[in-house]
Amino acid sequence: MQNKLNNKIYTEQFLLLAFISLITFKVVMLPQYLVKTAGSQSYMTMFFMIAIELMMLCVVYGITKNGSILQLDIPKWLKGIFAILVFSSSLIKSTVLGSEGVSYISTSLYANVSWSFVMLALMIVCLYLAHKGGKVLGRTVQIFFWILIFALVFYAVFSNSNFDIINLMPFKISSDLAVAGDKYLMWFGDFTPLLFMSVQPSSNRKKSTLAIWIAIAVIAALICTVGLMIEFICIFGASGEIVGNAFLNVSSLNKISFMIGSVDLPTVISWLIMCVIKFSLLLFAMAECAKFFFGNKAIVSLACGIIVYAIVVYGIGNLKACYNLATGWLRYFVLAAEFGVTIVAYIAMRVSQKRNQSISQSANNQGEVYEKA
Amino acid sequence: MKKPKFINKKWLVILVIALVLVTFSFLDEQKSIAARTIVLALSLDIVDDEYEVGIQVLKLDKSEKQEFLTYFAKGDKLSDIIEHLSYDTGSTVALCHATVLIIGQDVLNKDDNKAMSYFFEGEVLCNNTMVVTSVQSPREVLSPTLSNGVGSGYYLGQVLHNMVGDFGIIPITVKDYFKNKYHIGSCVYLPCVSLEKEGETTFLDITKSYVSDGTKGVILSENATKGLSLTLNKISNGTLPYHYEDSVGELDIVKSKGDIKIEKDSNTAKLQIKATLKDNTYVPEKINEELCMEYVSNEIKSYIEECFYQCKDAGLDVFYIGQRAYAYGNEIYKDPSYLDKIELEIEVKAKMK
Repeated sequence: MQNKLNNKIYTEQFLLLAFISLITFKVVMLPQYLVKTAGSQSYMTMFFMIAIELMMLCVVYGITKNGSILQLDIPKWLKGIFAILVFSSSLIKSTVLGSEGVSYISTSLYANVSWSFVMLALMIVCLYLAHKGGKVLGRTVQIFFWILIFALVFYAVFSNSNFDIINLMPFKISSDLAVAGDKYLMWFGDFTPLLFMSVQPSSNRKKSTLAIWIAIAVIAALICTVGLMIEFICIFGASGEIVGNAFLNVSSLNKISFMIGSVDLPTVISWLIMCVIKFSLLLFAMAECAKFFFGNKAIVSLACGIIVYAIVVYGIGNLKACYNLATGWLRYFVLAAEFGVTIVAYIAMRVSQKRNQSISQSANNQGEVYEKA
Repeated sequence: MKKPKFINKKWLVILVIALVLVTFSFLDEQKSIAARTIVLALSLDIVDDEYEVGIQVLKLDKSEKQEFLTYFAKGDKLSDIIEHLSYDTGSTVALCHATVLIIGQDVLNKDDNKAMSYFFEGEVLCNNTMVVTSVQSPREVLSPTLSNGVGSGYYLGQVLHNMVGDFGIIPITVKDYFKNKYHIGSCVYLPCVSLEKEGETTFLDITKSYVSDGTKGVILSENATKGLSLTLNKISNGTLPYHYEDSVGELDIVKSKGDIKIEKDSNTAKLQIKATLKDNTYVPEKINEELCMEYVSNEIKSYIEECFYQCKDAGLDVFYIGQRAYAYGNEIYKDPSYLDKIELEIEVKAKMK
């Protein structure tokens, strides 16, 4: 019961979590990889994949409105299968994306720091958030939302990137776009952790306000992913294939950096916050799945954290190994799990709702017959 | 019965935060700024088949007197050289604040971008660091202290950052250097600095430029550099002279921008320069605007033609016409000798503000 309450969040919190979940790891190494494979048209791949992801998020919202995936009125064995699939896909994603985050911190913010230290610091915070549940994650994202807004406004005001639109041309659709979409599947489909939330509408919000917020969230997600990709290509052109950490490199070009030194700190901080939230969400999904089998105990969350830590630090250990893992066959399994679980859960939920509806209808009819009799 | 609480939740959170902070404090290799040598400018050259890297740093003594020191080291690997420089300076060398990188022409034409990639891909230099080459060796340009008492490398970085929109100067950052390198033709253009002496005065001349495609290069004259800046830069500062009949004067450039297009099945690249000019001493009855504009337009055309044909003769696609052909769907860029087949048509649209 306590666990159910822990994962209850408001629609606004769901939107913020979905927004962060969607953009965090698409703005670091992915732009470089996409440019390497699909060249200057790679923003089209990003747009296509984001559009699919946004559509899937609508399905996720449709499920979570009725409660967490593990609370749905569906057979327990089906919930078990969902838990196994989401646990595996979240484990793979958390190791790949966690490695990327740790690599970013250890190379961009520090000079050659050991992964084990960075991972340890990150893991403690994220594991705590993950264990506390969706409510804490929702509150955290609400608190830090204003830092994200400040970073975006700061960047918009002081940005000094020399746009060269010619870098986006020619506008043509080639097979490379599909190849890029296929190769980097691991970076897309980040919605299953949200299935463990139970979304309730905020009591003091009107429906029209909510619609506006949804529209803003969708536009913001498109700007932060496809918009950043377009900006990245305009600024770096084909040389983007050797420029990692797109988010950081784009934000480092501003009007006042020469006067007062590096001013990309707001964007660095905001990305770190997003990284913590996203990583916590993945750990949260893993912990929720494990708790389904082993009970709601802190040790279960801790075990999940230890597994991820061991794989990232001792199994992967560098960005090249992470890339190889992410672009290997495992990406198909992760994609199938992410999409499969969401779609099947939605269908199962609708079937169960229909069945309950017909049962209650027949019960009502029977009641009427008795009354008449 | 209520369970006994061993620890308050609030304290647990504080404990976790403290643990995180302590964990981070264990991070090795982190040194305070005081234990770092902040490099203001650096040079890179190939001498006797080895890299030679120079760094300029600022030393402040107790009387707060500024002293610009330069250190040089040679070696096969850049990482080893930087380590060597750290040893020489007594603290870890930090290159991320360097304002300018002076590279030798041999580095541009013989190194296949290995050294430059180390600085860019490894994020050793910041994206905004300016890149220049020099008439003399980079060592000669980096070392001296100029007549104003400032180290030449540091001064050069400051000047270039303040002259981004100036007419006749073509400042270029490390980021733009690589962007251009990845264009069809692999041409890069950068200021060509020359250390000049007039009597007791030592100064830097940055009115020339250098164009290279990685194997060969050419130094552009002052006028050709003006043509280059008019075509590829957005200009917001500078003057253009005019001379017709008995009138002689100068016009201020308010803004100017070049745009090159090449149609799908054409061998002619069309360059359009749009310039807005202003005469500060403008007296309507004393100036013939039409003749003045005609003179200025012809001057602009001559600068651009000098730049284009000098580079074309050297086999350098300085205006990235191959890249533009690709962008506009013209397949001429696939021909290895496309540059010989392309003609440039220049149109100047100058107006007075």
